[in-house]
Amino acid sequence: MRYQQYLAWSVLLRLFHWSFALSVVVLVTTGFYINFPWTNTMLEGGRSFPVATMFYIHFIAAFVFTAAILARLYLLLFGNRQERFWDFLPITPKNIANLFKTIANYLYISDKYDRRPGHNTLAGTFYIVTFIMALVQVLSGFYMLYPENVVWQTWGLWLLGPLQHARYLHYLIMWYFILFAFIHLYIVVWTDIWHKEGLISSIVNGRKFTPDKS
Amino acid sequence: MSRHDFGNEGNMRVDRRTFIKGCTMAAAALGLSETMVPKLVAAATSAQRPPVVWLHFQECTGCTESLLRASHPDIGRLILDIISLDYHETVMAAAGHQAEQVLQETISKYDGKFICVVEGGIPTKDGGIYCKIGGRTAVDILAEVAPKAAAVIAIGTCASFGGIQAAKPNPTGAVGVRDLVKNTPIINIPGCPPNPISFLGTVLHYLTFKRLPRTDQLGRPLFAYGREIHDQCERRAHFDEGRFVEQFGDEAHRQGFCLYKVGCKGPGTFSNCPAVRFNGVGAWPVGVGHGCIGCTEPEFWDTMTPFYERLPGVTIPGGGKGIVTGATSVGMKILGVTAAAVGIHAAVGIGKRVVKCKKCNNTPDEQE
Repeated sequence: MRYQQYLAWSVLLRLFHWSFALSVVVLVTTGFYINFPWTNTMLEGGRSFPVATMFYIHFIAAFVFTAAILARLYLLLFGNRQERFWDFLPITPKNIANLFKTIANYLYISDKYDRRPGHNTLAGTFYIVTFIMALVQVLSGFYMLYPENVVWQTWGLWLLGPLQHARYLHYLIMWYFILFAFIHLYIVVWTDIWHKEGLISSIVNGRKFTPDKS
Repeated sequence: MSRHDFGNEGNMRVDRRTFIKGCTMAAAALGLSETMVPKLVAAATSAQRPPVVWLHFQECTGCTESLLRASHPDIGRLILDIISLDYHETVMAAAGHQAEQVLQETISKYDGKFICVVEGGIPTKDGGIYCKIGGRTAVDILAEVAPKAAAVIAIGTCASFGGIQAAKPNPTGAVGVRDLVKNTPIINIPGCPPNPISFLGTVLHYLTFKRLPRTDQLGRPLFAYGREIHDQCERRAHFDEGRFVEQFGDEAHRQGFCLYKVGCKGPGTFSNCPAVRFNGVGAWPVGVGHGCIGCTEPEFWDTMTPFYERLPGVTIPGGGKGIVTGATSVGMKILGVTAAAVGIHAAVGIGKRVVKCKKCNNTPDEQE
């Protein structure tokens, strides 16, 4: 079978993906440490600052994460065809049909794969859920970072309540990101094996494959 | 009844030295220069200072106790001396109809001029019947007194945010003053109990400048609640350097290390406790080896418990009432279930491929 190659993902989207992915790894690692600093220095005068350093790395990664989210927000509205949100949300009859076909295919009920130039609707829906979760992480995170700032205090209190609510939510949503990363990795590997569209390499070089109809 | 009625005994009077000292402490807490102290003193001794009506609702009188008890005699007496306390159920001599008459007289005589201090939450459920004074509900009394006051000072977490009686499931529908009073300026002095200096500072600020101090988004005066306890804590260096108490009584605890891992809520709690401290002896919870329990924050009974763990427990949806577990345990379990699901899915896929390959006897083609 012959395949055609086409550009699916812009450079900005690929940059978003990898800065987002790497920042999540760093944020989860340092976040676990911040929640429960499992080391105990015990000795005084060592001039080592493990907790302060972990916080510092966490904050740097958080700014990368925020920048990635802003880039994705721009692409959701002004990206190429595959990157805009109406391409992959179940809001048109065609997209809704794709959602059910994809679920059936993933569950081995149907062998038919409803090929999409960009995301399938199931993946796209969860990407939007993840995007909203990321916004909550950014808001709760900045609320905890700048608790005395009037702007963050106003928004934080209005949307999340006292700081302890923000801390609790921030921690629970971290688990969402761990689960998402785990399932995401499984599904891309699975899809890459079963459907020959070069899915994994597409997030590196931006190009996907489609069967040559001619 | 005026303040003179309980000033009969000599020991209830404040000498000049204590008075100036108290005003200076309040000036320091407010962040004012020492040159402002005479102005504070003048305002505090002015004959035109507004009378105070002190209302008790759903509370334990702990705020009043912490203000007046012998552990803090000077400040307690100073407050009684500075404010003209016309109605206070705990300390006034009058009782019954006589006391209620004093309240009526004060609020009509000083309409729009007196200060109303509220201590305790206000139950709203079932017509507010869970707190009644002289046959009237707390809601009624507050609705009558608060609109006539120049300002309302909610003292304690109960009056500010509802406190322990507003904790889940809040059987009496308790709320704080800010949920009921809309058109009178309100200042919240939360804490369980709050520091008397914060109350004194607020009152002196009002007497001196004729307006309430600047507040944060929760109506707490910034001079007392403007910064996180964590950022002013004397044990903060131990936190940054990763020296932690693992359990109460261990070597690290004896060394005075950070209490973060035994549930200190200093990060996320706003108060001047580390700076102002309590009882005139320089003590405060973290200083004596117990983590902050976050008592100045809204909903602290719900969100700051368990007091010796970092985060509140997760209520399991659909798990029936009272099933609560740690957030980490929930995350680990969901991750375990997901891993099992992924394993089954992968096994089915491999099985399917093996069956298919046997049938077609070559590598499977793209299934379009």
